[in-house]
Amino acid sequence: MKESVLITGVGVISAAGGNLAESLDSLADGRRNAGQVTLFQTPLDRPVFEVAQIPDKFLMEGRRTAGLAMCAVDEALRNARLEGVLSALRVGVCMGTTVASQLNDIDFYSTFRREGSAPLTAVERYLDGNLASFIAKRIGANGPKMTVVNACSSGTDAIGVALSWLRGGLCDIAIAGGADELNRVPYCGFNSLGIVSHEMCAPFDRDRRGLNLGEGAGVLILETMNSARRRGITSGLQLTGYGSAADAYHLTAPRPDGAGLKKAIARALDESGIEPSIASGKISFINAHGTATHDNDKVEGRVILELFGKGIKMVSTKGCTGHTLGAAGGIEAVFAAAGLRAGWVPGTTGFKTFDEEIGISPVSGKTAISGAYALSTSLAFGGNNSVIVLRTTD
Amino acid sequence: MYIMGIGLVFAGGFGIEQLERVLESPWQRPAADSKGIFSYQVDLAAIRDKGVLKGLRRSDKFSKMSVLAAADAVSCSGLGGLDGKRTGLILATAFGPHVTTFGFLDDILDYGDANVSPSKFSNSVHNAAASYIAESLNIQGPTLTITNFMTSFHSALQLARLWLDSGSCDYVLAGVADQYGEVLRYVYDNKLMPAPDGMIRPFNLNPAYQVPGEGAVFFLLCKEPGGKILCKVGTISIGDDGADGGKTSDVSIIDTDGMLPDESPYRASFSDSPLAAYSPLFGSMMIGSAFNCAVGALMLKRQEYYANPVWENPHGLKLLDKTGASGIESIRCIRYDCNREKAVIYLNKG
Repeated sequence: MKESVLITGVGVISAAGGNLAESLDSLADGRRNAGQVTLFQTPLDRPVFEVAQIPDKFLMEGRRTAGLAMCAVDEALRNARLEGVLSALRVGVCMGTTVASQLNDIDFYSTFRREGSAPLTAVERYLDGNLASFIAKRIGANGPKMTVVNACSSGTDAIGVALSWLRGGLCDIAIAGGADELNRVPYCGFNSLGIVSHEMCAPFDRDRRGLNLGEGAGVLILETMNSARRRGITSGLQLTGYGSAADAYHLTAPRPDGAGLKKAIARALDESGIEPSIASGKISFINAHGTATHDNDKVEGRVILELFGKGIKMVSTKGCTGHTLGAAGGIEAVFAAAGLRAGWVPGTTGFKTFDEEIGISPVSGKTAISGAYALSTSLAFGGNNSVIVLRTTD
Repeated sequence: MYIMGIGLVFAGGFGIEQLERVLESPWQRPAADSKGIFSYQVDLAAIRDKGVLKGLRRSDKFSKMSVLAAADAVSCSGLGGLDGKRTGLILATAFGPHVTTFGFLDDILDYGDANVSPSKFSNSVHNAAASYIAESLNIQGPTLTITNFMTSFHSALQLARLWLDSGSCDYVLAGVADQYGEVLRYVYDNKLMPAPDGMIRPFNLNPAYQVPGEGAVFFLLCKEPGGKILCKVGTISIGDDGADGGKTSDVSIIDTDGMLPDESPYRASFSDSPLAAYSPLFGSMMIGSAFNCAVGALMLKRQEYYANPVWENPHGLKLLDKTGASGIESIRCIRYDCNREKAVIYLNKG
């Protein structure tokens, strides 16, 4: 068992809501704020989950991902009572993203291709916009900075990296999570892979037809016990473990036997001091990746069934947020923390029919939970599997 | 933390022995295209042993360079392979597979949103290369791709140490990759000073001349030396001048390569030890620190200095002026980023 760290603040924004309270309301009601794309022109008509409104103070031309991230960071800092005091503390920033890491401005490239030159505004925004560095600069954090670009597990991996920084003494506080905007490039890309649904997504459902893309940001404030004590802060939430393992199998398909996910879960449980043989009795719920693609849900559901049994409470919140890519791990970590604290988990919106091929159903309505631990899982394009374990001591 | 093996692909060739040959030869001007524009580009067709690329026919150059370098690092270590070993993987990159990303944008512009290539999209994702490495070398531990522009490599090395120290992994394969492309060339030439004659002048400092490069270099790292090692990795500091203060080294390798318009901030870190800069062998890259570290590790292993490839010294700095055997205990590798933040890696004799 390794040293745990406290979760002293959380912040979140997605189509489900502009902050944690709004998001929990949407999740509890199974509200789906989805519709056609409005952020860019496209002939494709797959439903998406766009954020309704980013507060004016976080709106920045051409920096939607950073705006979403700052919105979640701001809520998390207020939650952790860290506003305006960061420069005196050793604070790291570790953020996952996909879109913000790519120089993929279509207008810039189209002009460059046509004319052999183009204004560098978009490039300068990109060069100045490394997500972790951008946030650190904006809030005055002076510790380590890292932007994780591990596709759909980026947010979970960023939280795992921050945990290792805190345990290794590189900083006392870490701002960690993920952020991604809805962007035309991955929208076209995911559609080309044939895994985007024409309908609303249905995680773990027998008749699921693929994912819906979304956008948002989710951030945890992680803090060593000593730092929280020095600041006079208490928290009943902890991050106890992180595990990550590669499938070493295929660029786009998950390993059918789920070996990588099993390893990642085993590592995260081990760091948390939880014996695998008694894990099912200790884990109150699992916030699953549950994208609603055929392969992801089959592999993930089967692994969860095998390791934790049919009685485990498993939920996918993507029915209310869409798949937010690099943000997903951060958003779902926030929801897992909130669920542990509140003593309930939302239903898996979109799920209707049990899939015999998976063998386990997710929670289908707002459900009370008891128990100290929760897992949040992320399975990424490229075959990476990442898992965090959270604990409530209240 | 120890370096057990190094693998690299660069414009000068493939592998540590080739790097050594290049270091011992007079500097050669990089190739120019038909318009007389210089760049350091990797020629994958010239690599004879294509065994490792067997399963990568659909991958792009970025991934191929990454897999070649990673496999070469394992081969260099003499470990025989990573099957069954608790190995982590960290790939650091400044720009990722941007050439493939622009290829995907070509699809959108030419054929429309509904008719793009899924294969191009898959390969344009930043962590595609790490996925190929994991598959090729059967790495089943934590696998991470990160980007921090100029301090990407330093961040990767710092995290590798945490993974090893915490017992999460017994080995970590940490490295960098970046690719040359026309768009990047345009950006470089408009934001930085292109070297008109193809020569990076690392000691000119201001103006600083760049010639874009590409390549990949990987380091197989372990916590305790169980077998053959090249050198030890000492202090790694990023943006923390205190961590670098008061330390001495036999050589300081500076990452001056024209990636900052004015490289004068490096002056603040000069000490009594002679200066070296090997960017004229690799080209200008935000991840260039990793290539310089590879040279430093080789010096410590061979106990041999490698003289600077380019000599121009307008400020009369104390430069490493000869190639030859010598007792080397410690090498300091220094990088400044565009915010004048210093990152330092100490390499020590193993």
